[in-house]
Parts: sequence; structure tokens; C-alpha cells
Amino acid sequence: MEKEIFISNVKQQFMDPEEIVLEMSTEFRQLDSYDSLTGMTIMVMIKDEYGIDIPESDYRASKTIQELYDYVLEKKGK
Amino acid sequence: MEAFINGISYYLPEKVLDNSTLSSMFPEWSVEKIAQKTGILSRHIADDNESSSDMALKALEKLIKECGIDKQSIDYLILCTQTPDYMLPTTACIIQNKASISKNCGAIDINLGCSGYVYGLGLAKGLVSTGQAKNVVLITSEMYSKIIHPKDKSNRTIFGDGASATLITSQPNTEFFTAKIKNFKYGTDGSGYEHLIVKNSGVNTNRENQKDLYDEEDNFISNDDYLFMNGKEIFNFTAFEIPKLVLSTLEVNSTNLSEIAMVIFHQANAFMLDFIRKRCGIDADKFFVSMSDIGNTVSSTIPIALSRAIKEKNLQRNQQLMLCGFGVGLSMGGVVIEIC
Amino acid sequence: MDAYINGVSYYLPEKVLTNHDLQNIYPNWEVDKVTSRIGVQKRYVASESEFTSDLAIGAVNKLLNDYNIEKSSIDYLIICSQTPDYLLPATACIVQDKVGLPKSCGAVDLNLGCSGYIYGLGFAKGLLFSGQAKNIIFVTSETLTKFIHPEDKSNRALFGDAATATFITINPNKEFFSAKIKSFKYGTDGSGYDKLIIKNSAGHLIKKQSESFLDEEGNFILNDDYLYMNGTEIFNFTAFEIPKLIKDILEVNSVVIDDITMTVLHQANSFMLDFIRKRSGIHSDKMFIDLIDTGNTLSSTIPIALCKLIENNNIKENNKILLSGFGVGLSMAGVIIEN
Repeated sequence: MEKEIFISNVKQQFMDPEEIVLEMSTEFRQLDSYDSLTGMTIMVMIKDEYGIDIPESDYRASKTIQELYDYVLEKKGK
Repeated sequence: MEAFINGISYYLPEKVLDNSTLSSMFPEWSVEKIAQKTGILSRHIADDNESSSDMALKALEKLIKECGIDKQSIDYLILCTQTPDYMLPTTACIIQNKASISKNCGAIDINLGCSGYVYGLGLAKGLVSTGQAKNVVLITSEMYSKIIHPKDKSNRTIFGDGASATLITSQPNTEFFTAKIKNFKYGTDGSGYEHLIVKNSGVNTNRENQKDLYDEEDNFISNDDYLFMNGKEIFNFTAFEIPKLVLSTLEVNSTNLSEIAMVIFHQANAFMLDFIRKRCGIDADKFFVSMSDIGNTVSSTIPIALSRAIKEKNLQRNQQLMLCGFGVGLSMGGVVIEIC
Repeated sequence: MDAYINGVSYYLPEKVLTNHDLQNIYPNWEVDKVTSRIGVQKRYVASESEFTSDLAIGAVNKLLNDYNIEKSSIDYLIICSQTPDYLLPATACIVQDKVGLPKSCGAVDLNLGCSGYIYGLGFAKGLLFSGQAKNIIFVTSETLTKFIHPEDKSNRALFGDAATATFITINPNKEFFSAKIKSFKYGTDGSGYDKLIIKNSAGHLIKKQSESFLDEEGNFILNDDYLYMNGTEIFNFTAFEIPKLIKDILEVNSVVIDDITMTVLHQANSFMLDFIRKRSGIHSDKMFIDLIDTGNTLSSTIPIALCKLIENNNIKENNKILLSGFGVGLSMAGVIIEN
């Protein structure tokens, strides 16, 4: 599971993908353009691209891109 | 395309409220008096934890078992109820899930009471005849007991809880009971909307407990949180309108009473039924009444009575039955069905 | 025989709740930011003394007037609502009387939300085809704002009240808008029943004031006496199910997406609609998205959209319009109409 592609996939769900900077350590919810709708599309993307149904509580528990990535990676491994 | 009733089952909750219990709660209301006035000896009452969808589910499961239906073939659920689980979501959706019916199934609630079964048959016939569904299950599920005030002697006497499930399809199935659904007659008189009502409900819901109203002799009259029924007005309505409904229903089916083998009215109460029967000129031996053990189960009365008539009476092919529902709304509907 | 939509009208209550009003009520909330994402600037709100039947009557009278319909010709009235006047009697009976429709008219309430318009069209078509009625008025009417908690910012910004009335008969009407109702697709997923719900209502009604639950920042989350919507779950449901549903609707009507002139989905919110549009491969020219001055009015959104399309003369001849409603239940349905 390519990290760069994962970051890019998350970035695309933001309103302003060209303007924001996302790194694995980024607490993506803190970004100005993030809102609940962004979150919803990220969860849909995770199902689309990685086949993982992430419950909202688990999604909320993932504060950084790294944590989200690790979660998906772990679920995929199962 | 035609539409056929291809099976009816019903479910009655376990708990029974009989006349001697009622009499002990209301000492001036003797057992004999109750039976004489209403023709009701007992009625079934839903459990505290039992919801409309629970009762509906049991009726549906009975239908599936008794008529050997492939659950996955059910493609439309209509639930007729005036006591839904919630205002939203739709109770039929809850039933779809509880019964594990296909997600390709349509599901909807309709709200009508005593005329609801007839209206539901009409809607089901429409769906089947336009190819929108092949196997419609029409469920009625009513628990008026939950909206009747504990001190409301008359309504506690009259109403009982119960659910039914009817299969309607485009093909007759002569293995079980099967009857072609013929033509309908409908009617509405909303000027009588207040004669059977739960005032403090729906959009009008006030979360404060409403007050009990008593008369000078300290008899309970009403409480807006609960069912109110103006028996006199309802009686009046049925006395004048139902004979007309019977005539119009026969007319729209190009038939007359002599060609009808059996009439099943909404089983309101035995006294009223016999009164209307005579006014309609229907012979007692054609008039099916079966409510002494269950009371008035609102939209469930006609399907339960029909289900019992099928078992108890020797119904024959080509016989015509007339079903008439009337009451809360005020609403009425009649239909003729022909046994295949 | 065919069934035709031969007129659609809508009625809005007088009171308006604008974004400006919302900003005053919630000074610390970025109203414009949120509302621009969902595509709503104002929503109409029924007054305390205005009930679902009142809105319905408004819509029916408008329809009768707009389309020169004889009251006495109406033989069936359907009302779709999840906020009826009473648990019983049916609101349709009240409206029959107050409008002055004949007593020979059938009248029934349906309970469904966002998919309700489609289901109602299906029933109407069935009644006409089986000769049970000739002139049907199908009403959608909701006063959902009465069940939104005063502190529920997001739902207050999203939902509005409205009623619509649609005239459905067996003969096309050359004078006004007239569209043939074609084939339907239905679906239900009751496992999501609690994703859009008023918990403390009807059979589950407990007479008490429920407690409100707040998050760590003191924001309102839910109160069982009021509407609760799990936005994420609903979004998820629509993201995956609606593109499939659109395919199924096309298939059951033996057409392809290129044959469709316009897609009118339940106007849930503009963001979600655009998201679904992209996932379904529909060009933005071919999808109607406009809830800016009414908000999400549940089962009224689709007929209001049709009205707007008719008003703006966006429906010429030979159109195939795909209608699809989805949401509370969870429930979904779609149909194609053709003029």
C-alpha cells in the first residue's frame, strides 16, 4: 500500500487539494478546509480504493494520516 | 393483469384480557352486560415490550410458513397501521430488516384504520397489475391497547390487538386459498375526523401529560393523550353510509346481494354489525362475524375474519365475497373477491 | 393505458429562516461556510399553529387553481408525510374535508420520507391502471422543522418545510406539462432504520422531556425527542447504493444514461448530490441540483424540483427524466417519466 498514493487519495477529498499540504504526520482534521463532509468522502474513498469499511468511531480515533494509513493497512492484512 | 389474494395468516399477542378481569376493574360493568352489549368475551393485548413491528413480523412469519412462501420472492411490503413503531422511520422498513427480506423489496406504511385492509388490497392490486411487484405482502398491525386510557372502560372493552399478513400476487395459487380481487368503492368524510382520534399525537404531540376529564358522576370521559371515540357519531355514520357503500360496491362489480356468498364487514362490535346487516338487507347466514374472542382489532379485523371464514366455512370456487371496512377518518372502502 | 403527471404545484409556509438569521442565533458558528457546502441559503418554517394538513391544503388549492382542475372530479387523495397531524385519523381525511373534495373520494396517508414521492407515484399509477381511480391528487407535506431541536445547528440549516400536490390521470394533458410515468425500481435496507429517526415517538413515545447529549465542546449531538440524523451513515449509504440504483432504474426502463435528459434526485444537500453525480458518471448539465431557497424538504424535494424545471422552461418536448428518492428507512426508489 503506497504511502504517497494514500496521501494523494486523502488530499483529493479536500475542497482545495492544490492548496493544502498533507504529510503522514499531519493532523488532517485541523486543516481549515476540513469539515464533516470531507470526512465522509474520505471514508467512502477508503472503501472504494482499499475495500475497507471504516466505522466512524475508528475513523475519528485516527488523528493523523499515519494513523489512518496504519488502520487501513492492518485491516487489509486480515 | 389480475391480482389474487393467495394466503392470509394472523397473529394474536399472548396476553388475554377477559370480561371477568374487566368486570373486576370496573365493578358496575358486569360480565354479562359486556357480552350482551358488544358480543366480546375477551381480547388479546400486546406485551409491554411488544411493538407493532414485532407483531407484524410474527404474522408475516406465519404466512410464510403456512403458505410455503419463498421469503426472497417477496418484493413489496405494505404495512397498514395506526400504531407505528416511530413517526419516522417507516415501520415497514424495520420489518424488512427483522424478517431478512431482500433489499430489493419496496416497503411502505399506510395509515388508515378500520378501512385500511380494503385500501391496502387496492394499492396492492395496483402494484401487481402494473408489474411493479410480483409478490406483495399486505400486513396489518394494530395495538390500540397502548393508546387506550386505563380508565376508559368502553374502549378497553371493545378494542383488541392483532396483526395479519396477506399475500397478493399476479397468479392464482390453487394449492392454498386463492381469490381474485375485483372492483373497489372508496369513500371519505373528513368532517368526522374528530370522532376517532388521538388528539395529542403526530405533529400535535405535547410532551406534557394531558389531564383526565371526568363527568359529574366521576366517569372517565377522555384524555387527549389517548384514544377518543365518539361512539354515537360513528354509529350514525355507519348506519347511514354503509348500506350505501354496500350498494355501490355491488354496482361497481356488476353484481347483487344474491350473488354474494358471504359478507365480511369490519368487525367493530357485534351489536352494531347486526344492526347494519339488517339495514343492508343481508341474510344472517351470509354475514360472517368472528370477534368474540379478539374484539375490534382495527385494520386486522377483516383479514382475521376472512382467514377464519376460510378455515371454518366451506367456501367454494367461483363464490363471491364482499369485504367492507369503515370507521376512523371517517373512511370507508368495499371490494368483492372471487374464489378461484 | 398510461398514467400521466399532469401538473405539479407547491406551497411554502410564510416564515423564513435565512442564513443571516442562523448567524444571529449561533454567533460562533460559521454559517456561510457550512451552508455553502450544503447549498442552502434559506428555508421555510411552519409556524406553531400551522400543521401538515394546512400546508397540504395550500398545495392542493394551488394545484386546483394552477391547472384548472375541477374539485368534484377528484376520486383519490394520497398524502405522503412523516409528520402527520395525528397518529390517527389519517391527515388525508382531514384534507379531503377541508378542501371540499367529494365524499366519494378515497383518501389514505403514506409514511415514507425522501423516497416517498416515487413510491406515491407508483401507487397512483397502479390505482389508475386497475381502474380504481381516474383523477388522483398526490400530496407530499412535511413540517419536520417542528421536530428539530433548537440547538441542532446542522439540521436547522438543512431542513425546511413544504408541501406539494401532483395531479395524476390516465390522459395526457396537452395544455400544460404532461409526463408519462414509466417503470419503477424499489429498495429497502431497514438495518439502517436508526440512522434517521425520532426515537421518542409513536409506539416508543415516553411522556418525558428527554436529555440532550452534547460533545466535549458543548455542541448539540442529539435528543431523543427530536430528529436524529447520522449524516455519515446516510452519506455512505447513498454513495454506494445510489449509483447502483440509477443503473437499475435505467435497466428496468430499457434505456441508457445518454437517453436521459435530466436527473432529478432527492435534494438532500448539494454536496452529496454532486458527489453522487460524479460517481454515477452524469454530466453536470444533466443533473438538477437546487435546494438553495427551500432546503431539504424530504418527500417534497423532487416535486418542487419538477416545478422549477417546468417554470424555467427547462423541459421541452421528448424528455426522459430520471427521478430518484432515497434516505430515511433506509429506503430508495426511482422511476423515469417521459414527455
